[in-house]
Amino acid sequence: MTWRPDNRLALENDGSRVDVRDKVTGAARYTTDYYPEGLLWASYIRCPYGKAFLRSSKLEAARAAPGVVEVELEKQEGTYPGDRLGHICAESRQALEQGLAALALEFERDRPATDIEREKKPLETFDEDPSVQEKQADLERIFSEAAHTLERTYQTQVQTHSCLEPHNSLVDYRGDHAIARQSTQATFSVRNELTEVLGLPPDKVEMHCEHVGGGFGSKFGLSPEGQLAAKLSKKHGRPVRVLMNREEEHLDNGLRPGSLQYMKLAIGPDGKLLGGRIHTWGSVGPVGGGGGTSNPSRYNFGIVAKTHQDVNLNSGFPRAMRAPGHPQGMFAVEMMMDELAEAAGMDPLEFRRLNETSDVRRAMLDVGAEQIGWHRRKPSGTWEGPLKRGFGIGVADWGNSPGEATITIHVYPNGNVEVLSGSQDIGTGFRTLLVDCVAHQLGIDRARVEAKVGVSTYPPGPGSGGSVTSRFVAPKALGAAEQARQDLRQRVAREWGVPADEVAAENGVFKHADRTMSWNEACKLIGQDRLTVTEKENGIFWKEPTGSEAVQFAEVEVDVETGIVRVKKVVALQNVGQAVNCKTVENQITGGVIQGISFALFEDRILNRQTGAMVNPNLEFYKIAGSRDIPEIVPIIWQSRPDAGVNSLGEPPVVPTPGAVGCAVANAIGVPVRRMPITPWRVLSALAERDGGAV
Amino acid sequence: MQPFNYLIADTLDAALAEYAENRPVLKAGGIDLVDRMKERLATPAVVLSLGEVEVLRYIEPEGEGVRLGCLTTLADIGRSELLNSRYAALAESAGHAATPQVRERATLGGNLCQRPRCWYFRAIHFHCLKKGGATCFAVEGENQYHAVLGGGPCHIVHPSNCAPPLVAMEALFVVRRAGAEERVIPAREFFVLPSSALDRENVLAPGEILTEVRIPRAPDQSATIELREKQSFDWPLAMASVARVDGRRWNVCLGAVAPVPWVSEEAAEVLGSADITPELAARAGEAAAQAAQPMSDNGYKTQLIKVAVKRALLKAAGQEVPA
Repeated sequence: MTWRPDNRLALENDGSRVDVRDKVTGAARYTTDYYPEGLLWASYIRCPYGKAFLRSSKLEAARAAPGVVEVELEKQEGTYPGDRLGHICAESRQALEQGLAALALEFERDRPATDIEREKKPLETFDEDPSVQEKQADLERIFSEAAHTLERTYQTQVQTHSCLEPHNSLVDYRGDHAIARQSTQATFSVRNELTEVLGLPPDKVEMHCEHVGGGFGSKFGLSPEGQLAAKLSKKHGRPVRVLMNREEEHLDNGLRPGSLQYMKLAIGPDGKLLGGRIHTWGSVGPVGGGGGTSNPSRYNFGIVAKTHQDVNLNSGFPRAMRAPGHPQGMFAVEMMMDELAEAAGMDPLEFRRLNETSDVRRAMLDVGAEQIGWHRRKPSGTWEGPLKRGFGIGVADWGNSPGEATITIHVYPNGNVEVLSGSQDIGTGFRTLLVDCVAHQLGIDRARVEAKVGVSTYPPGPGSGGSVTSRFVAPKALGAAEQARQDLRQRVAREWGVPADEVAAENGVFKHADRTMSWNEACKLIGQDRLTVTEKENGIFWKEPTGSEAVQFAEVEVDVETGIVRVKKVVALQNVGQAVNCKTVENQITGGVIQGISFALFEDRILNRQTGAMVNPNLEFYKIAGSRDIPEIVPIIWQSRPDAGVNSLGEPPVVPTPGAVGCAVANAIGVPVRRMPITPWRVLSALAERDGGAV
Repeated sequence: MQPFNYLIADTLDAALAEYAENRPVLKAGGIDLVDRMKERLATPAVVLSLGEVEVLRYIEPEGEGVRLGCLTTLADIGRSELLNSRYAALAESAGHAATPQVRERATLGGNLCQRPRCWYFRAIHFHCLKKGGATCFAVEGENQYHAVLGGGPCHIVHPSNCAPPLVAMEALFVVRRAGAEERVIPAREFFVLPSSALDRENVLAPGEILTEVRIPRAPDQSATIELREKQSFDWPLAMASVARVDGRRWNVCLGAVAPVPWVSEEAAEVLGSADITPELAARAGEAAAQAAQPMSDNGYKTQLIKVAVKRALLKAAGQEVPA
């Protein structure tokens, strides 16, 4: 057979996400919408303080509280706010809360470590590092030849994931098998860990995740909620739910670590970066690490000696958060780029073009500049009146590589199609991606295709982290659909008694000479119950990757009398390779920008310095951008090559925003605010400091 | 949340009788109370809801002024043509509080009587002064949102954003109690500083319910400026309400910077009954901030007071100010 598979991929689909109706009407079922018979509730018993010893508790009173099933304390010492000291299990949520109240925990508090600046090792300590020493001669040369050398320190705060759907798990152990439901970014990793905790083989544990209300990197693995639910379900032989409350979400479900970033960089007389010394500190939990930053990155920095220290604090542990290390790293990088450009007397756009490592981004910079109206940018601090306009730029990219996944398609004799993947839809549109890939490749209406996802008995697929889901899965969905199309084409050819390679199959219609057969008629030729095809290879649908480059321009207005910053507009260019569904792509870009603005201006995990307790473990004082804080956002889907495959999208759009906003603020007010979040307090302080005063 | 009995009053008299006899906890819109119950800061055995007492939901012109029932929602106030045209300072602040959803539930009475939003007061594991403890954690802790005026020994800021305009417009608060005549209290005398009482923020005695707000005379001019970090769903960092009543002198009342709606005599003195010029407005702002005593992290509020007062005056005088 000489059939040339059709691998065109100009989907450019603008359909709404396939589950929009379910979500808007509330029909979409989340883990907490399931209430199996005999449900028990459980939660952790926690230490609210940074460093404290449990002096007393009324364990017997808690155990005696009505409806309480068990209360166990496993340790007395808490080393971060939210530290798990034990657990409680009860017949109802009400009983659980009453049991917790009856416990009446009393703590002896110790002075906690809450401040990265106070706890970090001094910079000089790291100059002894061999990686710095071996570049010492180069650095000395660079600094002596430099036209300009700047030494700056930037600081970023802790950001929590703040998933609207809290972390929660429901495990139902039934002796020889178990059914679990969990809000997760990785169906199979939860299933795998459950097999260990429950002592069951993988085929006896069925894990479900229908919908997820946000994960942002914090919902991988069985996690504390699933661990506890599984342990207690096995012990009591009943279904057990663990559902975090908002305070627990902030304290113990991960965070983006805070950072301090020291940079001493030199530029030559032509404005090119020569290199220098960079050291970063990351604030992490009481033990372990995970506080790295992506600084230096993206630009051509020259010779850089970089060191890093993770600073242990009595605070929650970092967990991957949407582009871990990148938004905070790029905040410092972009701010430094603008300060260097200013020192060199260059336009920040020109300065970036000169030091850019990517031709794709260089082209994006030009288009973005035009879209935002870069020509309206005035020299820093020269705008008249109390409301100052400013413009800033941020850049990013993301890697693309192929990975494993399997897709199964069922085509029924009535013409309906199902596409199955065990991977989960974390709210970003995985179902929509599958439906659009399959419908497109079969040439049929997307209403005929249903995606079934998020069940561990479905074909294996990736966890949604590292922006891999679309790029791992799309080639297989397209390949499976292509196989089904060819199978039907052969059936039609047999029916007509003509060679298969003479039958055309376009837009769901089969043709030979003057004969045509509709999709529905062709599907009736399926002999068995249905036609099932499975694809696990990338085949021709994997295309040489691009870099998922991102460039953003921000326009802000700063009131210099009040310090209030308002972002007016963000132009966000994003290379995604091939966009499968434009609405969900734009949605992802827009969401990244909003999260980036929220990080730049508002969000801040604040610990009380005396007790280490978090003072704002809610959504009232842990401030997240609301509708009136969100500017006009112009998402631009950038395709660097017409034949690109499906590339990464989840993470890159959140990376450039804080830097772009920070630079825009500095341009507006004429002085950089080197510490996020850029609140009125910080803006007014920076202005006062410049003017020789203090706020 | 701990279990409780829930009573729904259908008349004001029934509510007053129940309140006097059994001392339940009162609930209007529930915005504040339900939060505190969820945090186990309030664990009432009985909650008495005033929600069905529809007779307390009204905006009635009377003489040269207006009467507002205390169950009038912030959304009602924000939508009222009368209030927007003649009592702008109030309509602006009620109409921009929180979110549209909250404003439909939140009541005027609840807004005036809500407990402070201090993050130490609101968390059960900070046994602070206001909860009977020995420490105001704001003094040595995180105090960027705390008081710069009138603080000590506790440093909360009063959370009501309807109170400053009402104080500036010389409103009267009507308080009822079972079997007693109504008590009428000038708005500026309704609130109490922590130096006189730690366990409450107003003069209400046990059994008393705030039922009505009267503004005896519509102001000649009035305006409110609130300065927030976020423009959606956030508490102001500082606010100023100004009003000139009956051609007499200007009243200036600050919000979010002191444990009570803070009447600035210093600003009023600078202003007298003069017409507003940019220079005069700026001088009044400076005067209002003069007595500020910032803590470690809230010095920026001093600057915000100056700007809020200046802009409120200019706005009241019909001039454009940065929005």
